[in-house]
Amino acid sequence: MSATTATGPLTTTIRIRLRTPARLRNLELLLIVVALGVAAAALALVDLGAVGELDTEMFALVALPAGLVLVLHIAERIVAPEGDPFVVPIATALTGLGIAMIHRIDIAEGYEGWAAYGVRQAVWATIAILIAIAGLVIVRNHRVLQRYRYIAMFVGILLLLLPVLPGIGDTGANADVWVRIGFFSMQPGEFAKILLAVFFAGYLVTARDSLSMVGRSILGLRLPRARDLGPILVVWILSMGVIVIQRDLGTALLYFGLFLVMLYVATGRGSWIFIGLALFAVGGWAATRVLPYVQGRFANWLDAFNPEIYEREGGSYQLVQGIFGLADGGLVGTGLGRGRPDIVPLAESDYIIASLGEELGLIGLFAILALYLIFVARGLRIGVAGQDDFGRLLAVGLSFVVGLQVFIVIGGVTRIIPLTGLTTPFLAAGGSSLVANWLIAALLLRLSDAVRQQPHAIVEGGAS
Amino acid sequence: MSELTLLVLRIGFLILMWAFVFMIVYALRSDLFGTRARKLPPQPTAADPFPASPLPPTPAAAPAPAPAPAAMTEPVRAQPHASGSTPRRLVITSGPKEGMEIELPNEQLTIGRSSESGLVIRDDYTSTHHARLMLWNDEWVIQDLDSTNGTFLDGTRVTLPTPVPVGSTVTIGTTSFELRR
Repeated sequence: MSATTATGPLTTTIRIRLRTPARLRNLELLLIVVALGVAAAALALVDLGAVGELDTEMFALVALPAGLVLVLHIAERIVAPEGDPFVVPIATALTGLGIAMIHRIDIAEGYEGWAAYGVRQAVWATIAILIAIAGLVIVRNHRVLQRYRYIAMFVGILLLLLPVLPGIGDTGANADVWVRIGFFSMQPGEFAKILLAVFFAGYLVTARDSLSMVGRSILGLRLPRARDLGPILVVWILSMGVIVIQRDLGTALLYFGLFLVMLYVATGRGSWIFIGLALFAVGGWAATRVLPYVQGRFANWLDAFNPEIYEREGGSYQLVQGIFGLADGGLVGTGLGRGRPDIVPLAESDYIIASLGEELGLIGLFAILALYLIFVARGLRIGVAGQDDFGRLLAVGLSFVVGLQVFIVIGGVTRIIPLTGLTTPFLAAGGSSLVANWLIAALLLRLSDAVRQQPHAIVEGGAS
Repeated sequence: MSELTLLVLRIGFLILMWAFVFMIVYALRSDLFGTRARKLPPQPTAADPFPASPLPPTPAAAPAPAPAPAAMTEPVRAQPHASGSTPRRLVITSGPKEGMEIELPNEQLTIGRSSESGLVIRDDYTSTHHARLMLWNDEWVIQDLDSTNGTFLDGTRVTLPTPVPVGSTVTIGTTSFELRR
């Protein structure tokens, strides 16, 4: 690809537009094939380990999303030829592992047919990848999204509020994050995170000058003016409202953390992180004092092995069983289909990471974490290399929100922070989560394609 | 299915997972360690400093002495800048690719050794993310991204984002370029 030959005299003008898209896409195809191999091997091992024979119906079903991943790959070759080659393979491998694990829980619980979470997850994966393809094809230029930032804000907040509206809110679960319309239920908060990332990015691009330039310096920190505190206070009140009204610590932490990081990236001023963390600490401390459910969560976390807390309603039973499962898995795991992950309540959704940890062991769990790490790192890198401020902020926001969500869930399951019910991106059972995260993957592809769509010239050589 | 087979399969699966992870890491190694400095063909080793390229590249650190329009340093704003006529082309005036011209993008052009840069310069003096040109209020501004060997505007090392007037020389490593309308 180097253009080392033509070094003509000054008068010669060489216009160069070099690209290597095919190489990227071929690399992606290779990785997708391996990712599908990982997913198929996981599913086969689950069946072999738990039942002893392959479930051909399940394989026929997952062939659908697997085929669609290849369709997505072809779509990329046409509409995003220079998209990042790692996003889709990682998402594919994680989704596949998730389906295999959920299928394994179904076997243990004896769910079959449409009642089986694994079957539904495979169908949702199909829908999610279809929507990702649609997103990639429709959004041809991410800057269009900037135009809709206020609409994104309103729809995002509306989605956050939906679960508490009477009639469609589903209060059956612990936290009010579900909406149920007839047979159809969803977690609108998962979509709200994308919309809010779009809004924050659009807003901060226009507002960051006043947020970063002015202010007095105290103790080495550049503190903002009082009136510039407005936005952060609004978001803080919003997330505190989520804690109080929806009883959902994790979601509040997710949105507040997202805003804080985007604010920091946009302004480059550490004082925002400082102010934000202080605000959240105050809010969290007040919540532990006032709200009984937050108190319970903290008690479960700090004193999980206390028999009294273990036994009581809403106590640490789930947390402790998850830890027992992880301990049982040890270093190499019990083997897929050979453990007892179904003992933990919600083993297929909130606790899927404990189930995977039990059957794949620490070695397998770290492989999964490494995949998340690479996914988030790619997103941040897309942000670093971005061409326009909106795209940069959006890439950082979207990838950070995935990373933060992984931290909140896995940190909760492993007792690093108080447990809150969020879905593990790509892995956990749940259609909304899967669709939202595949949409994030599609947006990252779009953003990374835009990064490389720039005049590209290469100067080689220059020996010393 | 015997226990032994299952054991082998399950260890094999863990290996497969990590193989996948390492395939990805291997594929993005250039991210971690930077792009290799030189490629083999145009690369003469230390013994033979300036052979292959017909025009000997200017010695690295010596920033091109500013040509006719006097060595202007920081007060670049002094040069009147007719609005509405922002530079649209970047022309390489010295270095291995002398004469090459690229069109400037809409918002910014990144310069560095990384293959993600808009202008990829691979020589011994360029950092992975070396500098970038940004369009601020219809004016191109060069910003050095903490590069090791620096970015020079008309011979002066750029520390803050500095406007680049038409015709002044920007030097990065052995390559110099200027902006033209």
